Amino acid sequence: MKLFIKRTAPALGLLGLGLAGCQPDINAPSATAGSVDFSSYVAVGNSLTAGFADGGLYNEAQATSYPAILAQQFAKTGKGPANFLQPSFSAERQDGSGYVKLLLVSNMLTPVQPAPGPPPGGNNFLGERVAYTGNRLPLPPAGSGALELEPYTGPQPDNLGVPGISVLSADQTAASTGSSAADALIRGAARIYSNLNPYYQRILPAADRGTKDYVTYIRQKNATFFTCWMGNNDVLTYATNGGVADATNPFSGMTDSTSFGRGYRNIVSTMSRNGTVPGMLANIPNVANIPYFNTVTVAGVLDAYKAVNPAIANIYVTARTSATSMATVTRAATAADLLTLTARAYIAANPGLGASPLAPIPSQYVLDPIEQTEVVNRTNQLNGIIAKTARQNKVALADMNAFFTAIVQRGVVANAVSNSAAFASGNLFGLDGVHPTPRGYAVIANEFIRIINATYGASIPTVDPNSYRGVQFPQ
Amino acid sequence: MKVKTLLFAGGAVLMGASSASAGGFQVYLPSQQSIGMGGVGVGLSMEQAAQFLNPGAMAMLRQNGVQVGVSATFARLAFQPTTGGEQRKLQNTTVTPFNVYASFGPKEGKFRAGIAVYTPYGSSLKYENGWEGRFSLKEIALRAVYLQPTVSYAITDQLSVGAGLMILASGSVNLQRAVALPSAEGSIELDGKTKAGFGVNAGIFFKPSTKLSLGISYRSKIDAKVEGGDVTIVNSIPALQGRFVGNKFSATLPLPATVNIGIGLMPTDKLTIGADVNFTQWSAYRSLRFDFSKDGAPAQVGLDTFSESKRSYDDGLTFRLGGQYQLNDKLALRVGGAYDISPVKDGYVTPETPDNDRIIGTAGVGYNITENFGVDASFMFQAILKRTQTEADLLDNGTTDRVAGTYRTNISIPGVGLRYSF
Repeated sequence: MKLFIKRTAPALGLLGLGLAGCQPDINAPSATAGSVDFSSYVAVGNSLTAGFADGGLYNEAQATSYPAILAQQFAKTGKGPANFLQPSFSAERQDGSGYVKLLLVSNMLTPVQPAPGPPPGGNNFLGERVAYTGNRLPLPPAGSGALELEPYTGPQPDNLGVPGISVLSADQTAASTGSSAADALIRGAARIYSNLNPYYQRILPAADRGTKDYVTYIRQKNATFFTCWMGNNDVLTYATNGGVADATNPFSGMTDSTSFGRGYRNIVSTMSRNGTVPGMLANIPNVANIPYFNTVTVAGVLDAYKAVNPAIANIYVTARTSATSMATVTRAATAADLLTLTARAYIAANPGLGASPLAPIPSQYVLDPIEQTEVVNRTNQLNGIIAKTARQNKVALADMNAFFTAIVQRGVVANAVSNSAAFASGNLFGLDGVHPTPRGYAVIANEFIRIINATYGASIPTVDPNSYRGVQFPQ
Repeated sequence: MKVKTLLFAGGAVLMGASSASAGGFQVYLPSQQSIGMGGVGVGLSMEQAAQFLNPGAMAMLRQNGVQVGVSATFARLAFQPTTGGEQRKLQNTTVTPFNVYASFGPKEGKFRAGIAVYTPYGSSLKYENGWEGRFSLKEIALRAVYLQPTVSYAITDQLSVGAGLMILASGSVNLQRAVALPSAEGSIELDGKTKAGFGVNAGIFFKPSTKLSLGISYRSKIDAKVEGGDVTIVNSIPALQGRFVGNKFSATLPLPATVNIGIGLMPTDKLTIGADVNFTQWSAYRSLRFDFSKDGAPAQVGLDTFSESKRSYDDGLTFRLGGQYQLNDKLALRVGGAYDISPVKDGYVTPETPDNDRIIGTAGVGYNITENFGVDASFMFQAILKRTQTEADLLDNGTTDRVAGTYRTNISIPGVGLRYSF
């Protein structure tokens, strides 16, 4: 029988070749742009738009910013941008601001925070090629004195994301707090914002520095389609600082809704040319859902202390006493108190911190329930303004608040790979606990594509999130 | 051909079939003659393959005989991922399921004994490199060779019964998939051989007239058990080494029972028509579970010391119709068709069985070179209907360990056989 098979196999093989025409074909819908011309796509936003990840802006993560992914997918419709310009760093300074890395320290995976600054003061030991010039931005009061990054010298980018920017700091006419003195201060700060924020400073031509606010800067672009994801920092900056505003920084509090509405409408109508250019707005996710607030827990800190001293029964924190007053009190922490990711390093540097009411965990490391309510309420308020602005300008709206909440509740599965909102291991959030990983950005891009397709009758293909990495582990 | 030789042949060309020829990973390729007629034969007593189709019909065979057949399956698959991107294909592999039958009995006796070797279950698929479902499956080769000694007894001229001992004589499974690491891709390969398994193939055949015959047969379930299979892992991230400790696995795969009913009509001397229904108890396939171990103790691979993937198959039904027309002493022409109702529910389609209902068409010829020696050629074409499952379907069913998208598959199966009677 072996012989039989041997002799017949070639004949069957030949027959098989003749059957090559049997390859089936699935007539998948082709990519179309619907009613939109994507040839000049412009992205407006903050760090999330810039492709900020792991506490820094660097070329590798920036290459997978959601605007870059969107532009790549828009191009598949044949009506996309030929070239989507991002303000990346030069190759020899590809690590930009430097970023947090996971390292094996005494066989433990440990996030290592870079020290900003030019070598050798920077994070040199990791071999990072950072982009600090050694100069500083103008010193206060003319600026922040922050370390300057390598300037971007190309034409105005299509990705206009500026890490750290808020609606309040983007528009020199936004501030409407009810106090003319405060308004003058904030408006002035927004006007010289490029002297405060090195990420904005580096993309502005030298002649514009210290004078051109963000709204004026983005008005220079003639978009055929735009996305705008702003407002996060109007609550996030305050929240990540444990609900403590920095007295020296006019943009460290939560933006009031009047100022926000004014600034936001200016930004959107600037890009939409008063409702004539199609686009998509994304609203503000509830920041309490991010790993930054869910990784270091009261129970975890207590367990660590109990392992050393079983008599320790409580962790003590500094927390607000009422929603109407900024007064704080020292009290035993509960599971409802959210500790910041930065609390881990702070507690490690101050052994025993929080174990006694005499040395409570300071307020800026704790988002207590009063502050959480405050942040959620303001987020909802601002999201209401965002939704209304979308309607007024006849553009799409992505409800990223609902989307992030869904991710927290049930994760994201794509092509047999599960991802969750868990710190580091969940694949979606990077090592700063706030910003997505490249895979997280891909998931966001897919959601935006879904909204754009639904709003504009397009069929832009999504991407396979598994083609994008999660947190970079040491190999 | 002696039993020993047959066994040797089975061992030497261990084969499976490409993603099956009936629902799930069942391979329904009884013989070249039967394939030409749409796979019918439970209600017929035409040929030696009765041992597989209906052991009860074997006693009605009038001649001793040996026959061998081999098919080649060419599966062509298209997959369109819902996440966008190119349409994916299989890497072309060909597998060759085979069948060997021999039976002996006194010329006018009531007894007949036989031996059969066949491949009723199997699957062999290799997906294109980098395809979206690689974290579910890159490659599978599942093989099962059954050996079956059979006896059949004609109680009257019209009624006969038969039974065979089904032995899962040789089986193997090889499964490869990519492993998602946070910033890299690893891989895992499971490779093992099945332990011997036993079951029964029994049937009743009734031929009330020269123009009509009826048959029913039952093949029991055999659990294909793998113990001490090898686990090979590629992981480039040292910090995650603790997740990949196990180096052995065990698993059980049910090769389900089938109930088969057939009818034969012989309106003239030259024309034979058969119609069969196969009922396969795929509902036995609840889940695919691998237990991992190292040095005999449970050991972690991935997130746990075991992995379990839902299957929850329904029972499967296949309807077959086929006929043979004996043109002259030398030449017989065959044609047939079948419709197979997939056991795989919506939201449960896996890359290793990208199943759906199938439409099957077949044709065949038989040629008698001498009075005793004949050849048969068969051709079967299966269209596995297009099937789409979305990520939402997978979430709803808790089956997110597989890939969302649209599958469509065509399988072409040419085959040839030789028969010798004496």
